[in-house]
This record gives sequence, C-alpha cells and structure tokens, in this order.
Amino acid sequence: MGGNKKEKREEKKQKRARVEEEEFEYEEDDDFVEPGEVSQEVPAAALRDCDKEEAAKTDEFGAQDYRKTLELKPDHTSRPLWIAPNGHIFLESFSPVYRHAHDFLIAISEPVCRPEHIHEYKLTAYSLYAAVSVGLQTGDIIEYLRRLSKTSLPDGIIEFIKLCTLSYGKVKLVLKHNCYFVESQFPEVLQKLLKDPAIQASRKRQEGEEESADGFITGELSGKSALQLKKAANGKEGESQPGTSAEDAQNGEEKKEEVPEDIFNYYEKMDREEEDEEEEGALKTVSFEINQENVEDVQKRCIELEYPLLAEYDFRNDTVNPDINIDLKPSTVLRPYQEKSLRKMFGNGRARSGVIVLPCGAGKTLVGVTAACTVRKRCICLATSGVAVEQWRSQFKMWSTIDDSLICRFTSDAKDKPMGCAVCISTYSMLAHTTKRSYEAEKMMEWMQNQEWGLMVLDEVQTIPAKMFRRVLTIVNAHCKLGLTATLVREDDKIADLNFLIGPKLYEANWMELQNHGYIARVQCAEVWCPMTPEFYREYLTTKSQKKLLLYAMNPNKFRACQFLIRYHERRNDKIIVFSDNVFALQHYAVTLNKPYLYGPTTQGERLQILQNFQHNPKVNTIFVSKVADTSFDLPEANVLIQISAHGGSRRQEAQRLGRILRAKKGSAAEEYNAYFYSLVSQDTVEMAYSLKRQRFLINQGYSYKVITRLDGMDEEDLLYRTKEEQMQLLQKVLAATDKDAEEERALGEGGKALVQRKTGTMSSMSGADDTIYMEYRKKQVHPLFKKFKKT
Amino acid sequence: MAALPTRRLECKDLHGYLKSLPTSVLDKLYNHPATCLAVFRDLPELARHYVMRLLFVEQPVAQAVVNQWISPGAEEASQVTSALSSLRVWHTQPLTGTMSGWILNPVFRENMKTALLGGGQPWAGGAPMTADKHARDIPFLDKYALERWECVLHFMVGSSEGSDGVNRDITDVLVNSGLMAKEEGEALPSITQEGFQFLLMDTASQVWYFLLQYLDTVQSRGLDLVSCLAFLFQLSFSTLGKDYSTEGMSESQLRFLQHLREFGLVYQRKRKSQRYYPTRLAINIASGLKSTSTDAHRPGFILVETNYHSPLQVALLALFCDLLYRFPNMLVANITRDSIRAALARGITAEQILNYLRSHAHPDMLHKTPVIPPTITDQVRLWELERARITFTDGVLYNQFLSQADFEMLRNYAKEMDVLVWELPEKRVMVVTKEGHDDVKRFWKRQRQT
Amino acid sequence: MVNVLKGVLVECDPAMKQLLLHLDETNEFGRKFVIQDLDETHLFISADIVETLQDRIDDLMDRLSFPLAEK
Repeated sequence: MGGNKKEKREEKKQKRARVEEEEFEYEEDDDFVEPGEVSQEVPAAALRDCDKEEAAKTDEFGAQDYRKTLELKPDHTSRPLWIAPNGHIFLESFSPVYRHAHDFLIAISEPVCRPEHIHEYKLTAYSLYAAVSVGLQTGDIIEYLRRLSKTSLPDGIIEFIKLCTLSYGKVKLVLKHNCYFVESQFPEVLQKLLKDPAIQASRKRQEGEEESADGFITGELSGKSALQLKKAANGKEGESQPGTSAEDAQNGEEKKEEVPEDIFNYYEKMDREEEDEEEEGALKTVSFEINQENVEDVQKRCIELEYPLLAEYDFRNDTVNPDINIDLKPSTVLRPYQEKSLRKMFGNGRARSGVIVLPCGAGKTLVGVTAACTVRKRCICLATSGVAVEQWRSQFKMWSTIDDSLICRFTSDAKDKPMGCAVCISTYSMLAHTTKRSYEAEKMMEWMQNQEWGLMVLDEVQTIPAKMFRRVLTIVNAHCKLGLTATLVREDDKIADLNFLIGPKLYEANWMELQNHGYIARVQCAEVWCPMTPEFYREYLTTKSQKKLLLYAMNPNKFRACQFLIRYHERRNDKIIVFSDNVFALQHYAVTLNKPYLYGPTTQGERLQILQNFQHNPKVNTIFVSKVADTSFDLPEANVLIQISAHGGSRRQEAQRLGRILRAKKGSAAEEYNAYFYSLVSQDTVEMAYSLKRQRFLINQGYSYKVITRLDGMDEEDLLYRTKEEQMQLLQKVLAATDKDAEEERALGEGGKALVQRKTGTMSSMSGADDTIYMEYRKKQVHPLFKKFKKT
Repeated sequence: MAALPTRRLECKDLHGYLKSLPTSVLDKLYNHPATCLAVFRDLPELARHYVMRLLFVEQPVAQAVVNQWISPGAEEASQVTSALSSLRVWHTQPLTGTMSGWILNPVFRENMKTALLGGGQPWAGGAPMTADKHARDIPFLDKYALERWECVLHFMVGSSEGSDGVNRDITDVLVNSGLMAKEEGEALPSITQEGFQFLLMDTASQVWYFLLQYLDTVQSRGLDLVSCLAFLFQLSFSTLGKDYSTEGMSESQLRFLQHLREFGLVYQRKRKSQRYYPTRLAINIASGLKSTSTDAHRPGFILVETNYHSPLQVALLALFCDLLYRFPNMLVANITRDSIRAALARGITAEQILNYLRSHAHPDMLHKTPVIPPTITDQVRLWELERARITFTDGVLYNQFLSQADFEMLRNYAKEMDVLVWELPEKRVMVVTKEGHDDVKRFWKRQRQT
Repeated sequence: MVNVLKGVLVECDPAMKQLLLHLDETNEFGRKFVIQDLDETHLFISADIVETLQDRIDDLMDRLSFPLAEK
C-alpha cells in the first residue's frame, strides 16, 4: 500500500512542520515582576520607580496634594505641562506649545494615556535611558522640562532624572573593523570602568596603536545622520510631521507669539541638535578594545556598575563585511513618522540598536526595509510565521532594488539556497527550536551561525517569549538589532528584556495622530453585549470545567449577533474577518454559516489560497480565523473584524487583532469611520472582565469602545438559533463536546475546508423587542447600528 | 440592585409658591407695592396685558368683553384667567342676570398703581442720610455673596474647607427641607439625594429654593411671613452697590435681615450696623426665577479630563470621581465604576452627573459635539442600568386557585383597587401589594360566603 | 380554595433569574429562599433574604466588571 505509506509520510512531514513553525502562545501579560526577580541584564537604577520615591500629602478626598509644594508660574497659561512628583506628566493637547512638548515627552517618557484633551505620560527609568541613548543630556532634559512646566519642578523629579541619566548612555559598545571597542566621550568613565578587575582583564592591548596618555585610543564621532533619503520626494521635510496638522502650519506665525520665548529657543536648539548635528562638528571620543570572547562579560559587568553599554554599529567603517547591493527604489516614499523613527536610529552616523514602536498597519516593514538599505550589510529578518516571512519577502521586493536571488527564506516550507544571499528571512521558532532538524536545515543553521550579520530585524518583537528570544540572540550574531513592534505593553517584564537585550525604545508613534492624518484606518471599536440564554447560563453557572469557555463562546445570542453583523457588513460590500481562539467555536460558526476558515493545522498552501480568495474573489467576503492570524497576516482589504472568542485578558492580542484592519482604507473619506472592530462578549460571564482588561492598551492609545447592548435591526433578520428547540440542540452539542474542545487552539486533524451546507432558519423575527431610545451623538454620519441604545 | 425610587427635587417658581399661601396671607402681601410689582412682573405676558387694561377700571368688566380682547380660541386664555384668579389678582363679580365680570383685587390695584406711578410710603430700607465710611463696591459684594453662599454648599458636601460659619439657622433649613438628613448618632447631617440635585442647580435657583424652604419655617421662628416677604421683594428691586438704611424696619424684619446676612443675600459690616448692602443673590431673586439660567458670570471649567480648583467643585467632583492629584490649578480625577456606583447609591442619577459635567466643561471641550464623549455618557448610564437589573417588590402571592373564574374574580378586584402587582393567568398566580392584601382577603371571604 | 404567601416579587432578566436559582439550589446562603419560580423573568422569594442577596449580586457584578489585576 504505497499510497498509504506516502500519506503517512506526508502526515509526518506536516507534523514536523508544525513543530518547527508553531505559533507562539501569548505570554500572560498581567504578571508583574517583583524587583528581585528581574534578570541580571537590568541595571539597578532602571528598577527605580519615582512613584515610590515621593509620598505626597493627601487631601481630604484622598488625592495626592501638590498645591503646597509646587508653585504656579505667573505665565502658566502659556506653558503646557503639569509634572507630578511621582513622575506623571500631564500635557494640554490644545496648548500652543503642544508640538514642542509632545516631541520632547515622547523622547523622555512613556505615554500612559492619550485621549483628546489631556495626555498623560510617565517618566520611568527606561524612558530616560532611551532618552540619553538617542543623545539627550541630563541638563537639557531638566532644563526643558522646567521651561515647559506650569509650576516649579519637583525636586524629586530632578533627582530622579539625574539618577537615571547620569551614568546611562555614556558608554558604548562599538564594533569597528570587526573588533569590539568600549567607547565614550568621557575619559573618566572609562577609567572608572577599567578599575573593575573583570573589565581590566577583558581589555585587549595592541601593539602600534596610537594611544593617548591614559592609554585610550582617541577618535572622532561623526555628527552626520547616516540616513540618506531622497528629500525631494518628501516635500518640505519636517513640516509635515504628525502632530503638525495643516491648521497648525497655517497658524504657525500667530501661534509663535503665544509660545514663551524660553521654550521656543530651547526647542529650536534641541531640534537643531537632532536634525543636523554636523554643524556642531565631530565629537572627540576615547575608547579601548576588548576581546571578543569577553564581550558578554563586559556587558554584564557594566550593567552591574550602572553603566549599561549602548550598542552602536559603525557600519560605514566596517570594511570586513562586504556591502550588499540594495537600495530603496526611487519610487519609495517614506511617511514622515517612518523617517523620523529612522532618524533616531541613524542619528550619529552609526546604527543604534533599539526598538521602534509603530501601530499595526502603519508600515513597520518599510521601516525595516529602509534600515536594511541604509546599513547595506548582510541582514537577517525574523518574523513570527511562515506567512509573515512571505510578506517580508514581497515587501523587500516592492520597496527596494534587491535582486530576488539575494533573498533567502528559511522556513519549514521554503528553504532557499543560502549561498551568497544578502537578506535572510526566517521565523523565530525555526531558529530557536531545539528538536532534531533535517540535514538541510542543520546545514542552514550552521551557515547562519557562522555569518556576521550587519543588521538583525526583529519583527513583532513583543510577542516572542523571552526564552526563545534569548536563544535566537545567542545563535545569530548581528552588529545592530532593530526591534519592531506595535504593542509595547509597559507593565510586563518584557520591557526590561527588550531594553537591555536589544536596546532602548527609539521611537513610538501616537496612534490617534496617525489616524487623524489618514495613515491608518479610522476604526470604530465596539463591545457588543450578548445576553446568555437562560439555558446556557444555567450550565455556565454549574459547570466547573474548561467548558465554561465553550458555553460563552457558543452562546446562541452571540452566534446570532455574529451572523447579523456578517450579513449587515456583507451587504455593505465590506470584507470581514472573524476571530475565534477556540477551535470548536471557530469550526461550528464557520461551518454553520458556510464560510471558509483557517487555523493551526491548515497547511501553508491552503492558507495562502484562502487569503487570496478573500482578497480577490468577490464571493468570499468573510473568513473565519484562529489566533494564527493574529500577527503578520497582511489583509489590506479587510475592514471589519468580529471577535467571538479571545485569549483571556491579553491586551496585546486585542491590539494585534485591531491591527489586521488598520491599514489605511482608500476612498472612504466621507465616513467618520472606515473600519469596524466588534468584540462580542457574553454578558454576566468572565468574558466581561477579560474584555475590559483586553481593551486597556487600546484605550490608552486613545481608542474608545462603544458598548452596544442591542444591535438595531437584529429582530427583523432571519437568524439562526431563534427558537428554544434550536438553542437546546446547540446546548446538547456543546455539552457533548470534550474538555479538550473547550481549550483554545490546538492541532486537530485536517482543516481548512468548510463544505457543510448551512442550515436554513425559517424563523422570522425575534419577539419581545425592547424599548429603545434614540441617541444621536454626532451630526456627522453615524453608523446605523449605533443609533439605538438599549435603555431598559 | 433594587432601583431606588428617585425623588425629584421640585422647585416651585414664584407663582407656584404664592399660590400655595393662604388667601389671607396673599391679601396682606398685596399691601406692599413692591410685592405687587414683583407678582406683576412674574405674570405671563397676556395676564400683564389684562392687568394693565383693568388697572384703572373701578367696575367689574364683563367676562365676555375680556374674552374679546384676544382672538377666539387662544389656548392661553384659560391659563391666564386661572393664573390671575389663583393669585387673587382678580376675582369674579356678578353682573346683571347671569352675566359675571372680572374685577381686580382692590388692594392689589391700589398698590400696583403706587408701584407704577409712585407715591405712598417710602419702601423700607430707604437710602441712609450719610455716606458710608466703609463703602463697598460691586466686586466686593459679589465676592462676599459667593463666599457666603459657597459656605452653605460646602457644608452640604461635607467639605472641611470654608464651611465654618454655617450656623444653626442654615442647618435647620437644610435638614427641614430634606436637603440634608441627620443619621442616628451622627453629629453633623449629611447630604441627601435631593441635596445633590440641589447642588447641581445654578446659583439663582439654589438661592430661591433655599429661601422657599426657609420661608416655610419663618412663622415657627416667630417671624411675620408677610413682612418678611414684603421685605424680600423690596430687596429685589434695590440697586447693587448701593447701601440702604435699617431705619423703620420692624423687629421681625430686622431678625429676617440677620438671616439674609448669613445666607449672603445682604452685606452688613456689623450685626448692629445701621446700613446694609443687598448682594446680587438678593437682587436676582425675582429676576432669575422662572427659567433656570446658567451662571453667566462664571467661566466654564475643565472637566472629565482636566481641571478646576474651587474647593466646592472639588468636593462635588469627589461625589462621583476618584480624585488622584491636585496641582495648584488642576485636579486629576478618574470616573470609575466604583465612584459612579457610590454616587448612584446616594440617589444621584446618571443624568445629573452628566448634566453637571456638561455644564462645567472646559471651553476646549465645548467645541465638541457632544461635549462629553459618548463612551463616557454610555458608560455612566450603563452603570446606572446595571443597578436596575433586578427589582424587588414586597407583596403577597395568591396561587392554587381552584378555578379560572375564581382567579379572574379576585384578579379583577385587585386590579380595580389598584393593588395588583403582577399576574400570570395561565398558572392562576397573582401578586398584590402588601397594603392591599387585607382588603383583597376580605373581599375573597365575602365572596366565599355568598 | 386559594393559597396565600407573603414575600417579595423579583423581576429581572432571564440570565439574572438563572443566577438567583443557582444561588438558591447551591444553598449559597445556607438555606433556600425561592418560594416559587413564576416565569422566565419572575420569582417569588422570602423577604428576609433580599439584603443578603443584593450584596451578593453586587459582589458578583463587581468581579465581572473589574479585571483581576487592576492595579
């Protein structure tokens, strides 16, 4: 039975593919790390929190009372900031100085919440670390904050800034001519470091080097940005930055007068320093070389000594690694924020390692491609899935002049010949997995390990488990690391890992600003409350097992809401993605509604086929997907997302999913929203609590969820599961399911085809319509579904 | 969870208040020209027109004639007629045969004439003879009045800031009127549901409401209601920034003056001082009664996302927000489920909270439509709805009827008596109110006997 | 014949009713309190349980409304 054997082999092969390319579980992001547990890669100062530094008096209502300690300046109305002694900063978004303050705050602090009128930021050790690493000085940070503040600056804040910045960013680890140097503008710092026996022992002395009195190698640091872009294509550079609305530009002249002179002058100065440092001339540096095998020890020691090393790559002077033939196409135009983020990376003529945070759909890939075109050394890109690898490849071809033969993919499905390749694209799991590999793959791994990579681009860097991440970094040797992410969830310990494994956050975009400028879609987020039917709720209450999850995912009212929304949006010719983490629900919904679906076990070929159908076939307007599609599935057509089951309270997943529909939509400027994100939630179940938690990240970005307790028009639709009998049958089906069915996605036989005929419902409308009242919120076009609001 | 019955704070207008007074008091009130003018000013336009036409007619005018003054079928006519009657501004008088006519109340007519044409006794509180060494200007008086008034409001929200100086008289009014209530064992009364609604009114309405409550108590304080009211109306016609003499004021009026001083309606340097200055609060009484106007002299304040620093506003916000930080000129507060639920539990409604936010929003927010982001409006309302998911009603359940006829008979009776709470004919079950139970039971027994 | 019972009429949505029945069946308060299950949205219960019941439901709603790690 040869055929049988062949089938088995196929199956085996597939199984292996699955292992190699398993999608990652989201790590729970609600665990807070105790300071003691943080890995040793983090300097002690970074663990400081100015929250705890200062305990202010509280007033009679329990508020922190700063009225006595902070003095209001006479011209406070023209200054935009309040700075609390605990590090929280409040910025008036309507201030004439908003733009001046905003750019600065993004550089030195973490955005906490950016709704319409007042934005909240927080100074943290990490944010200050990032600030100094892109070249800001302690004195400048304090002075500019002082000028922007409406009140006197809290003493504790000044202390905190000094504490976090004085020793940071002073020392760099530079790779030059394939040798490692510890470099600084401050000889005294190097002397201090060399007093440490471990560092002393790692120092490498070379004969014949030109040495200064203290034995340091002197050098110069170019101030010129390494980023060379075709300015013509960008128009007036710097004028069209996000945050500078057209209106701003128009009123610029008048507004200037409202800006206090000291703020204006300082802003100009900082701006100048950042934009064209060349005028300042080259900076003198001193350095000493260290042995390559000791690099890691030195890094660790420096952290312990509170002088974390910033990694910089002087790629222009790297004569050992050959340049690769890659440039941006002349037609490629960067958006202002993309350019800005890259300028942070290449500011001083070298490539800084670090993380760039851009919303999904805002063109992270182009940033990565441009970085590769700037460094022009061998580049490795790591993505989260095979589909994402394909997308990276096509983006490289779309934006750059790279020859197809120079791109090498390394996934379970595609293993291009690595020899002579310039850009290698693979997945994290391909590199990190520890089980036995095929001979071919083994060879490939060897090759990659032996390469010296100029640039490593780490896509969706926040989704990668820390362990896997560390493994990857030890396997591949790259001079410069660029992390790309959309969702920097600040509370988890990832930020510590990222900061010191890759580098500081170089840039973070404001989602709402990009939305207002039309760079990403304008999304209406809605939480649809689906009441549990009494029978399902009764089971929910008595069930102790995993099946609770199944009961709220399969709630007939949720199904009906989903069916209704799909119909509603298909009539509008929208393209709809429905997400379900639970495979049982995914299959049931998709099969019952006769829609294609894809999930873990769906083969690569089938996935691409379904996605292509979704993109190009006018008859396929809705697809059901599991969490495999959370990241990196680029579906530019999709503009409606319905979520029926999710991974607990994961804020990151919620944001990733939203990202699937964020790519800017064309030709729909008339409407207030051009994309819709519905999260269907079964009322009175734990889903409600999860849902609230999931939304927090996006809410902090300025999104707001509209709660819909009743979908207008649902009663008139002929939907399934209207009668008690149908609902009871569904319940029986759920009860007959196993506990395993109730779990989230896991591998389950063959999938991908949904050919079962849809049952036709004969029921007319649902009885017992609720009283509703009309609530018109906006004069502009309102989504008709949101017109009604259940009142009783 | 049970929905509390929400008691609405009813603020009578001048008309409503006067109507509630005994006729004898009303007649006496019209002995003062100021009162007549104040009442006249408060009348609907058509009624004023009638009064002016009749003012100099000493004879009754046939109703048929009066009806001809306006186009037939005008809806206002009947309202105006009854308004004038209920205020005893005019009354009917029989003419020949079955005809009857309208005639103005003679006391009202005489004093109205005086008010319009001058003459008569000088109104109490005429200008003093000498200039005040300690003359006060309008900004001073405004500041003074606002401070005094805010003391009252502060006291209500239990804020420790600036609420000293609230004495027994004020406390009594607040407690008697139900704006505050004293719990067993508590030294100080605390704010009630009505009290919060009171705080959400604009200042002019607050003052008027408070005065109404106060006036209800004047007689029990041994004061003469008529002379107090007359004085109050005179005050409302005085000039802001001008001082008036206490000469010629009755004992009752002098004590009343002291109370008004406490509320901030008049400024008097010392208790024994021979002169006083009415403040804007007093002068606005008669002018700002009918429609609740917003406080035009106050700028809007940033809210929801931003700031404000008046201790009173802070205390009010603390009723439904969690306060986080206080900067010299900004307050940061969160609206949370807990904070809103705490407010709802005090009987404050979602609508009141939202109204308050709307009317105190920062100018920058006012550019937006709606002023308050819809998601916030929705959320606050949802939190309110959540509390109304279950209702509990005390009652008595009747079941196990032997026949449908029995059920229907008793059900119909309960329905007739308006004591039926709920019924389910298919199962022959019904619930009647606790109060109605005895009656229904008796009816059942009577029926059984026959 | 007619039977008469004193107590409290509860009106609520169907899911909430299930919750009340669940609390009753599982003896959450150490005793039964539902006197009669009337229809999908109505129950008749003992009067003396109302306060305890309200507290418990408030508590449950709190737990659903607040993420576990809201810090």
